[in-house]
Amino acid sequence: MKNPARFTGQARVLPGFRLTLGFTLLYLSLIVLIPLSAAFISAASLTWGEFWSDVASRQAVASYELSFGASFGAALVNLVFGVIVAWVLVRYRFFGKRVVDALVDLPFALPTAVAGITLATIYGPTGWIGEAVAPLGLKISYTQLGIFVALTFIGLPFIVRTVQPVLEDLDPEIEEAAASLGANRWQTFWRVILPMLAPALLTGFTLAFARALGEYGSVVFISSNIPMKTQITPLLIMTKLEEFDYGGATALAVVMLVVSFLLLLAINLIQWWASRHHRTELA
Amino acid sequence: MSVEVRNVTKQFGSFTALDHVSLKVESGELVALLGPSGSGKTTLLRIIAGLEFPDLADATVLYYGEDVTRIPASQRKAGFAFQHYALFRHLSVFENIAFGLRVRPRATRPSEEEIRERVNRLLKLIQLDAMAKRFPSQLSGGQRQRVALARALAVEPKVLLLDEPFGALDAKVRKELRRWLRQLHDEIHITTLFVTHDQEEALEVADRVAILRSGKIEQIGTPEEIYDRPVSPFVYDFLGNVNLFSGRMKDGEVVIGDTSFAVTDTERVAETQTVAFVRPHDIHIARTQNGAHSFPAQIVRCHAAGSVATVDLERLDDRVHFTAQLSKEEYQQLQPKTGEQVFVQLRNVRLFTDDYSI
Repeated sequence: MKNPARFTGQARVLPGFRLTLGFTLLYLSLIVLIPLSAAFISAASLTWGEFWSDVASRQAVASYELSFGASFGAALVNLVFGVIVAWVLVRYRFFGKRVVDALVDLPFALPTAVAGITLATIYGPTGWIGEAVAPLGLKISYTQLGIFVALTFIGLPFIVRTVQPVLEDLDPEIEEAAASLGANRWQTFWRVILPMLAPALLTGFTLAFARALGEYGSVVFISSNIPMKTQITPLLIMTKLEEFDYGGATALAVVMLVVSFLLLLAINLIQWWASRHHRTELA
Repeated sequence: MSVEVRNVTKQFGSFTALDHVSLKVESGELVALLGPSGSGKTTLLRIIAGLEFPDLADATVLYYGEDVTRIPASQRKAGFAFQHYALFRHLSVFENIAFGLRVRPRATRPSEEEIRERVNRLLKLIQLDAMAKRFPSQLSGGQRQRVALARALAVEPKVLLLDEPFGALDAKVRKELRRWLRQLHDEIHITTLFVTHDQEEALEVADRVAILRSGKIEQIGTPEEIYDRPVSPFVYDFLGNVNLFSGRMKDGEVVIGDTSFAVTDTERVAETQTVAFVRPHDIHIARTQNGAHSFPAQIVRCHAAGSVATVDLERLDDRVHFTAQLSKEEYQQLQPKTGEQVFVQLRNVRLFTDDYSI
């Protein structure tokens, strides 16, 4: 009984709980909370009427639809193709695998403006791909489709990098068990592998979606930035700032903040629910 | 009517896991594949399951006369249980067991009601009916292995294959579970093969035991047969503790030191210089020299904890150590002391012509 505190539940196995939590809160405050609360304080200088007319204007609503819609769509597309890329990288050995693996990270590292210019050129009416799809009546650059392409580009690594380690850790015996029970490859994938990947997929989706929501650099180059058509919310905020309409800009920022936070919170809750059986609760 | 493999060879790189192995398991039989690690026992099981395929074209795997050599696991209808259970952690116990029924093509898939009925019956069989809604992470190791067994049984397999089914469990649960497996087998009589490296487990549970060594079946027979009549020193050694005495042959008897002992199984003709094999429980210790058939030895150490007492001894002539096992009564009668000199008698002395060395 050298340490009686152990029996009252006061002491923990890992020391430093208060220190690390204190540091976490301080860090989050300095880096995240205080700058973000400035947006709320700034928006508070507006009257309700002004605030409402800013955030509910037709131009603003159109930009939300585009921003959230394109981000969501891009994250969904990445969900499908990210899993395929991760699958190929984990399951097969082929020449140049390391190169492909490194390529996946490129959208992380590339300055977004460079990505925007490159994509705009290639998908433009005279670019390789733009030219190829033009006869089909498709225009990519300077349209909503272009924005979607850019957001897909920057979101890909998030899905691949969250799914890859989970897929690597998947015990091959699990698949053999499914096979010995009569499941074909397709059933094994749908009923066994995919559900086991679900928590990682949700994390990857959340990250890709959040990243796309905040993307600005690449979109301004590939989009024609026409209000009501190809103007994303971050760009609308930028436009307002250029017009010295700081109140209007922060009002939109607050809407983006609140909606993003709620969406991320919701996805986190889904994730918590989806991973419920990973928690051991021996009764 | 049986499960049979003929002439199966399997290589992994330069390592030969199986070398022209043939084995026949009768319908309803429980057979243990016993061997040290690397002897090929798991590979043989996986080839029977269809999780691995034999190398050579003349190899055959037969299920009740039907050639399944090239048929993949998913179409073989073999139930397989893995050492680490391989349960689907995202599915409840109920859904784990129902899995094999739910993935059937629509034409042969039982109705929802039949599935429920069958899974509930299996849950009762494995004594886990109260745990149907739990997830695998909420079960103990022994419970998980029982779920894995029920899951394999749910598809009504033609043969049940168990890969070290109790290998990851602690000693007490192992013993309970292997007794339970034997009872289960007596109830449902499904043709079963199980892999183990634990000789006690194999001898206790199985109808017949196949002993593998370096990719070959060294001996196959009932537990009694292989224990009492091992064909090689390897089998003899693998099935229990053993003492070696070097000696020479004279008139059909083996002479150890100055003492001659009768040899069990005298058909075996050994060369003049030979090694005699004796189990610890076949060594008798006495304070006085009763007749000519004993030699002197010194007691090095005694330990009496457990159901039998063990006495470590040393021969006086060549200083070679050996171990004797005494029953508790014998031990209490004799009261051996460390350092004391005693006389040793040997029973069931065995000779092998094989050049295997332990």
